[in-house]
Amino acid sequence: MKRIRIARCGTQLLAPPSPRRPLCPHVVRFQKTITLHNYRIQSRLQSTAAAREASNFEIESIVEEVESSANDFPSSTWTSPRHTPLELLPSPHPSAALKSAKLAALRSRLSLPPRFPLQTLARTLIHPSADPDPTFNNGSLSILGANLLGYYTTEHILCNYPRLPMSVVFAAQWAYIGPKALATVASEWGIEAAAEPGGEIDPGLLQFKRLRSGDDLPTLLKGKQAPWKWNVTMTNKILKSDEFGSTASRPDAQQLQGMPVPIEEAAQSFVRALIGSLYLHLGRPLTKRFFRDHFLSRHLDMDKLFDFRTPTRDLSRLCAREGFEAPVARLISETGRHSNHPVFIVGVYSGKDKLGEGAGSSLNEARIRAAAAALKAWYLYKPLEVTVPSSTEGEVDTSKWKPNMVDCGEVIV
Amino acid sequence: MPLSAIKTVSKAQNGVGAFILPLRRLDLHYCDWAGSSRGMNAYLRNHLSRFASSNPQIEIRVSPKPHRHPVIIGHYINSRRRAICVKNLQVEGVREKVEYLRNHTGEKNRKIGWDKVRSLNESVRGVWSPFHGARIRI
Repeated sequence: MKRIRIARCGTQLLAPPSPRRPLCPHVVRFQKTITLHNYRIQSRLQSTAAAREASNFEIESIVEEVESSANDFPSSTWTSPRHTPLELLPSPHPSAALKSAKLAALRSRLSLPPRFPLQTLARTLIHPSADPDPTFNNGSLSILGANLLGYYTTEHILCNYPRLPMSVVFAAQWAYIGPKALATVASEWGIEAAAEPGGEIDPGLLQFKRLRSGDDLPTLLKGKQAPWKWNVTMTNKILKSDEFGSTASRPDAQQLQGMPVPIEEAAQSFVRALIGSLYLHLGRPLTKRFFRDHFLSRHLDMDKLFDFRTPTRDLSRLCAREGFEAPVARLISETGRHSNHPVFIVGVYSGKDKLGEGAGSSLNEARIRAAAAALKAWYLYKPLEVTVPSSTEGEVDTSKWKPNMVDCGEVIV
Repeated sequence: MPLSAIKTVSKAQNGVGAFILPLRRLDLHYCDWAGSSRGMNAYLRNHLSRFASSNPQIEIRVSPKPHRHPVIIGHYINSRRRAICVKNLQVEGVREKVEYLRNHTGEKNRKIGWDKVRSLNESVRGVWSPFHGARIRI
């Protein structure tokens, strides 16, 4: 539901032209005393793309202040990464990615082309709880990936099912790219988790600080639940909340630094970061194809998501709104009325048109099922030809674009 | 609330969009001295590199296991493992076992009983209803 500007997201994540200067202003402030931290940053900096502005919006003024001190920093203390003990690094060195059999296997298991660098794939596996450095963890990439996933899924659902009620749209989003779905996807890709993050372990393992069993979730991940007497309206959910309509918002990735997290959280961030890095390295068409193959190909019964409370009343309101004749339930056929297992088939008619049909073991049950079937038939309308908005991105020729149907919305009772 | 929604998670259909090979890792253990791993050693020397290059999605580990029979262990996506002892087998036998592990789903062996079709939508035609369809006239 959120509007995003993809181009802006992308440029923030690209590598700065000359990564000679330390990026974090706080590092510059302390670098005269703690040389170890500084040369770690400098030596590890030559690898994957860096997030220059992803986390540093509010401290840009400080950057300008300390720029001079950064420039005259003596380069003699810089040492080769060969002499750094691996155990001191919070996450594996990017150069180790080229030697990892697990990473190479993962790349070909996901059918990614060889031009997608293994170093970036290794970076997507590092959760901020393992490595707090934003240039080496997947925080920024997972923000971009979450936005892309939300965008592609939303447009798919809204264009293919224009009449879906809002709560069902939220549930469908949750089923495709919700936290649970993403964690399942990661496990189906064969992602293994490291017992403890560190510089010496295989970069093909998911790196995060584990939540010990029996410990409570961090408060950031629990989310803020609205008090029970608050009436959280659908409008509020659409405008204020995330793409799943949940009242608890997803925590910022960088806020989870050093905090123990459950494996599901780390697995989700990996999947999101992978989408983000695919977008940056391989471009839009391949990302969309990857999304179609791995997410839209999953099975979801849209009609199983509905939970009607009063379908007969909803249906009569719908007929009144659309100018149809008032719905009438008629018995089509029955068997075994006086037996233990009677079956009634009831149809709901508006004038001479049959709107829906249902079978039940009592007349009332069959009538309610018929009304629910009629409502589902209305809400699950699917246009034959659909062009999603992202298919015309970056194209000069707009003749292929066909406007999508926009419905006036669900019935309000 | 006239209408609420039920939260579910979409189900994977491996092979509908993308196909992920269930075999994730293959461990091959051999012994340099014992005669029971003669076929295994020949396989490692002559055939394994071709198998590895044709299956890049499998992580392959080769490690010695002195004074033990040679073993091939497959680790699968569903976090199960399947081990096969290849003692005294010739090269061809070892190759067959490796192919067997590669093509396996990693599921437990199950007796196929009454329901031979396992599917999200088992019958293409749906549940039969006595009240619908064309009437059969005798």
